[in-house]
Amino acid sequence: MKSRSAFRLLCCLVVVALSFCIALSASMSFSQARGTQTAARAVPRTADGKPDFSGFWSTPAQPGARGTATVFTKSKMSPFVPGGEALFYEPRTGDPRHDEPRAFCMPSGFPSGFFGPYPIQIIQSKDYLVMVTEFQRITRLIPLDGRPHQKGIEPTYYGDSVGHWEGDTLVIDSRNFKRWSLDDYYYVDPTQYRMHSDAFHTIERLRFTDGSTIAYQMTIDDPKIFTKPWSEDFEMKFHPEWAQTGLYEFVCEENNRCPGGNCRK
Amino acid sequence: MKIAFPVLLIATVLASAPRTAAHHSFAAEYDSTKPVDVTGTLTRVEWTNPHIWFYLEVKDEKGTVTTWAFSAAPPGVLMRRGIPKEVLKIGSVIHVQGFRARDGSNNASGGTVTFPDGRRVFTASNEDAVPQEKR
Repeated sequence: MKSRSAFRLLCCLVVVALSFCIALSASMSFSQARGTQTAARAVPRTADGKPDFSGFWSTPAQPGARGTATVFTKSKMSPFVPGGEALFYEPRTGDPRHDEPRAFCMPSGFPSGFFGPYPIQIIQSKDYLVMVTEFQRITRLIPLDGRPHQKGIEPTYYGDSVGHWEGDTLVIDSRNFKRWSLDDYYYVDPTQYRMHSDAFHTIERLRFTDGSTIAYQMTIDDPKIFTKPWSEDFEMKFHPEWAQTGLYEFVCEENNRCPGGNCRK
Repeated sequence: MKIAFPVLLIATVLASAPRTAAHHSFAAEYDSTKPVDVTGTLTRVEWTNPHIWFYLEVKDEKGTVTTWAFSAAPPGVLMRRGIPKEVLKIGSVIHVQGFRARDGSNNASGGTVTFPDGRRVFTASNEDAVPQEKR
């Protein structure tokens, strides 16, 4: 009997130890998702010597951030122009289609859709940078061949982006947006829905700080809302382990059972 | 007390898993003033986007059976953490706490799940309200 009890005790200890290891592993995996670990990797370069951002990355987040969607820091923002605050904070009306269109699988828009805690895959060639998010499977096709912005096109949720190199920094300039959500701040405070205007213009600057980290700066220029452009710095972390499965499918319409709080049977 | 290893394993993974973002805010779909606290038999799992759903048959003291549906994280997020859909075993009895849908139906956010071994795990999205421990 003694030996049986000892065996049971041993089994329990093994289970507890294994559980601890799994918990630790999951915790580390999550830390990696928001960038508290770095693997030694040289900055990869393409055949023509440019930094190569291809691979799987966490979405831009404030260094050390964990878990939630990234939102812009209010103290980084420039003062409002007269009337800008009213454009920035969209009043809630009680109509869920107005107050939270994404609950009905409407597009997140840029930059909001790129700032959730989901992977981004980047595919880079000489002429294009392609960014695909797992969340809503948003695809940005950014030409790098020096072409100007398109003219005379309808404003869109994701804008018109063009890229160019400044040394080892990739600069992406985006314009031609329709007025839409700036970020997911309403997750933090449901009473405040922050918008950008149809004059929204962004400049993203991407550069490697090491082989597994992209310093990602976004400058926001929205003259209908802010007196002058302002910037915030984020990080993206490299995740080679996500290549094993790739991006998982995300079809919002598949089973959106309770859009706006009205659940179907 | 017997502890089934798979249950312990699964519960540990769920307990240590990060909270995740939803495609909608909690306030859009659920009412934080209407907590739901039920124990029942898991009858169905929809391993779908934008959230998985799992269904519980809950029997009251009179023997009346009510079906509740609970939403949790998207399948991609769960799978990336190493949590397959087999984690939610049909026929198992689990205790779920969350908040009712705004339309008053028997749908709710699956805030926390307690497995038969007593482990209490967080299953809702990051921004969701979390049921408080009863005192």
